[in-house]
Amino acid sequence: MLLKNINAERVLKISADVSVFVEPTPADDDPHYGPRVVPIELSRFLARLRLLEGVPFAYLAPDADLLPRESIRFFYLDRAWTDALVQGALSVGTVNSSDRAQLETLYPFVRDEVDEEERRVRLPGGEAVQQGPAGPVTGFLLRSRAVSGWPGLHVRAYREELGAADDMTIPESDPRRVKLLRMERLAPAVLLVLFDGIPAVVHIEEPRQGIQFGVRLLPDAAPNEFQGGVNARNALTTENVNPDPTVMVPVPFRQGAPGVLDLARLNASLIATAGTNMGTEVDGAEFALQMLRFPYRQVFGDPNVVGPPPPIADVFKPTIALSKLRIAFEEVLHP
Amino acid sequence: MPNIGQFVLHTLANPPLKAGDYTLHGHMDVAGGPTADYDGHVRITSPRFSLPPDQVLSTFPPANSEGSYEERLPQIVLKRRTLPWERSAAPGDTTTPWLALVVIAEGEGTLSGNVAVAECVTAGVALTGPNDVATGTYLSVTQTVVNKVFPTKNDLSLLCHVREVDIRDTELANGDDDGFLAVVLANRLPQFDRTNNAPVRYLACLINLEGQLGALPPPAPPFTLKFRATDVVFDVRPLAAQGGGDADRGVMGGATGLRAANAAVRTEAAPAVKKTTTSNWATTTAKVEHAALTSPKGEAGRIVRDVMLEGYRADVGHFVFVEPVYRFPVLAHWSFTVTNAGGFETYMRNLDVGLLGTAVRPAAVPPGVPPPPPAPRPAPEFTETGHVGLPHLTRRGERVRAWYRGPFASHPTARDEKDADEHLPCAHVSDQLRRVVPDGREDLSLAGAFEIGRLLALSQPSVVRALLAWRAEQFGAERARQIVSGVSDAATLVQPDLKGRASDLGALISRRLVVSAAGDPEKVLAPSRPLADPGRPLPFAHDGGLDALLAAGFGLRATEVAKRVKEIGAVAALQETPVPIAEGHDAGPLLEGPTADRLRTRLTDVVDRLTEDALKRREAPIGTPAIAPAVASETSRDALDALIDRASRGSE
Repeated sequence: MLLKNINAERVLKISADVSVFVEPTPADDDPHYGPRVVPIELSRFLARLRLLEGVPFAYLAPDADLLPRESIRFFYLDRAWTDALVQGALSVGTVNSSDRAQLETLYPFVRDEVDEEERRVRLPGGEAVQQGPAGPVTGFLLRSRAVSGWPGLHVRAYREELGAADDMTIPESDPRRVKLLRMERLAPAVLLVLFDGIPAVVHIEEPRQGIQFGVRLLPDAAPNEFQGGVNARNALTTENVNPDPTVMVPVPFRQGAPGVLDLARLNASLIATAGTNMGTEVDGAEFALQMLRFPYRQVFGDPNVVGPPPPIADVFKPTIALSKLRIAFEEVLHP
Repeated sequence: MPNIGQFVLHTLANPPLKAGDYTLHGHMDVAGGPTADYDGHVRITSPRFSLPPDQVLSTFPPANSEGSYEERLPQIVLKRRTLPWERSAAPGDTTTPWLALVVIAEGEGTLSGNVAVAECVTAGVALTGPNDVATGTYLSVTQTVVNKVFPTKNDLSLLCHVREVDIRDTELANGDDDGFLAVVLANRLPQFDRTNNAPVRYLACLINLEGQLGALPPPAPPFTLKFRATDVVFDVRPLAAQGGGDADRGVMGGATGLRAANAAVRTEAAPAVKKTTTSNWATTTAKVEHAALTSPKGEAGRIVRDVMLEGYRADVGHFVFVEPVYRFPVLAHWSFTVTNAGGFETYMRNLDVGLLGTAVRPAAVPPGVPPPPPAPRPAPEFTETGHVGLPHLTRRGERVRAWYRGPFASHPTARDEKDADEHLPCAHVSDQLRRVVPDGREDLSLAGAFEIGRLLALSQPSVVRALLAWRAEQFGAERARQIVSGVSDAATLVQPDLKGRASDLGALISRRLVVSAAGDPEKVLAPSRPLADPGRPLPFAHDGGLDALLAAGFGLRATEVAKRVKEIGAVAALQETPVPIAEGHDAGPLLEGPTADRLRTRLTDVVDRLTEDALKRREAPIGTPAIAPAVASETSRDALDALIDRASRGSE
């Protein structure tokens, strides 16, 4: 008597209507991001899956020849592949046909939410999240001894050529920089990096290790023979004497002794180089300034770029002041 | 004071007085008379044979480390800024430092154990002045090694400088106390062994050059602008291996010893010579670390430095006779290993750069060298699109080849877009994503991705739980709610609770039904039965009956009580009404004697009368012995009547 208006036919008709035009309702009301269809933990798991976390390496590089030793390979990320990953993960939660039909209607919302969550997986130091629709994702795989020997490599990517400002440090929130979605060492010598966009220039930099001195060794024509060179610096302003980094003062070595520098002769040739302003006498501090070596930054970009060639090597400009220390007593004792 | 992150380089920091003994002579002229002169002695000390370990702030390369140090000069940073200039290397020379940092490989020199300081310098050299310690270590090297490896006299002042930093800058200051540090550089770049492709261990020693500046190589040794990395400076180990430390045999008969010594000393090794490599470089590093971790606290430094000297124990002086062997006192030493050729720059410059799928160009084979052997396995099938041909075992057991491409492509790829109905294709089974390529093979890239995604989700129980909870909540419950809200306009009485978490329509409605039924039970169920049955009406419970009953029971005049009751209530009236008290004022004990008997008989009379009253009468005047029996009740007899009969029968 109470439920006389509800009969089986009416219920069936209404269910059929509802199944076709289902509206997704918020499953989770996140305090930051508002109502979302996918629960937060699930959304984070799917976002990390999209960035290929946990995917075995054989799926990423099916053949070893794709990543030979001492090589770097750039690529575009195939979004259809990562979407298939997410669909596979979602298929665990659907058991019967009605579930699958429901998932099909929800899937566009799921995809958009996971696209947003992708950008939030790696947020270093409180940087703002990039807004906008999901764009192309690119990246590179680097296999080299440089990765195992220097675990703390710095990687930066830029949207456009920086020109003369190759040595500037631009914060990650700058629109010229392309954000990193993932940077991880998959093996001791293999580094995988994913960028949120298509970069025009990529920098890979050596991590700092205090103040170091040395020369630059260049292989010569004969096997196992090397030449050494030093970029001469102006002792008064600490700038490079010659902006072209390939012009170096050759370093003399002692004959028969591999690697032993002939310092007096090197000092003499540095003094003789125009623009060093080193004075005529032997000076340990000026010599140390010439031998200073800064962390090396390798720039990957378009070699055909028009304009002044960006200084690819040794782009740091040291800011050091020189002075001679003479203690007052010495002047009294040795007038 | 420089800013944080900056440093100032100074050429030298000369102390006002060098180390040594001085006399201080004082003379004062006083008007009152002659005064005695003062003669005092001052001794200025400085390390000569041993450096306290806390004076070393840092070294590069770090002690016992492995790395690519081919392009870097080893250095040692000292706490005291004047240390390299505190002694005169040669009498009269005040600006040349007396310290030098030399880097020697295994086999090029020997480090001794703790010996008396007199033996720490070359025979014939006597160091005057006070010594700081009694024992020290020394480095013994041949003339060849000195000529090839040691810095010249003019190089010494180039290799030492002073650095000034802000002491608050912890990275640059390294724990110094005044911000001024002395830095001593080496003049040798440690090289990797390219002949045998093996790492090389080096020992860096801070040596004392006092009195031995003449032993250093001449100021202008022959130089070259290139160096051959495979050259060998000197190696005493083949000599040591051959044995024969006997001087006699070496000079007279042991031709092998003499010739080998000559050969090792004079010739430059051609690349074809097999050089004995650094023995046990890896185990030595591990041994040093083990020693560092397990030595007792006070001895740890000494033990670690001792273990580092493995490989430097063969006494050079024992085996080499044709040239002088020098000894230099060593103040500090540490060892490191060069494990790779080249530094960071070399690696980055030599990278093969390309998009994924770029094949490596085989290295150009120089003429005359035989071509490299063919690769052990056939080259993989690559396409321009980045697909790789892989063997495929189908479900039916056939072995075919299929195409596969990982998530990395060498060109931008397209992503599915929403169609007109805002609908996206979604696969539920991996077989839905298999594609067939025009050449007849299958493309299993997306199917493989689907399967690995599914397996990764299944491998984490928390993800499975979250998915199933989402399915129950989102799919089932939501559907139920929406159906019910479409249906509920017809059901006015039963409004299902839309906020519930039941996952189907039936549960929602049944719950609501129960709640509604509980609200109005008389309509849904039968009228309710009272909690208790009413009892039998009491016979005395009629007008004035209770008061009369109480009065008769207590032996009081009923009318009096009734009068009072109307005024003040039953209990108060009973309290006020005087109770007749039996006489008996005998002095004897209360319960004995004639008084007691009289009370007893009276008590029994009253009890009889009361019980007769209660059983037979409604009203009994006081003192009336005759009691008329009560009128029996006309109602039916029940259990209470039977009980009363039994009690009355018992009293009779």
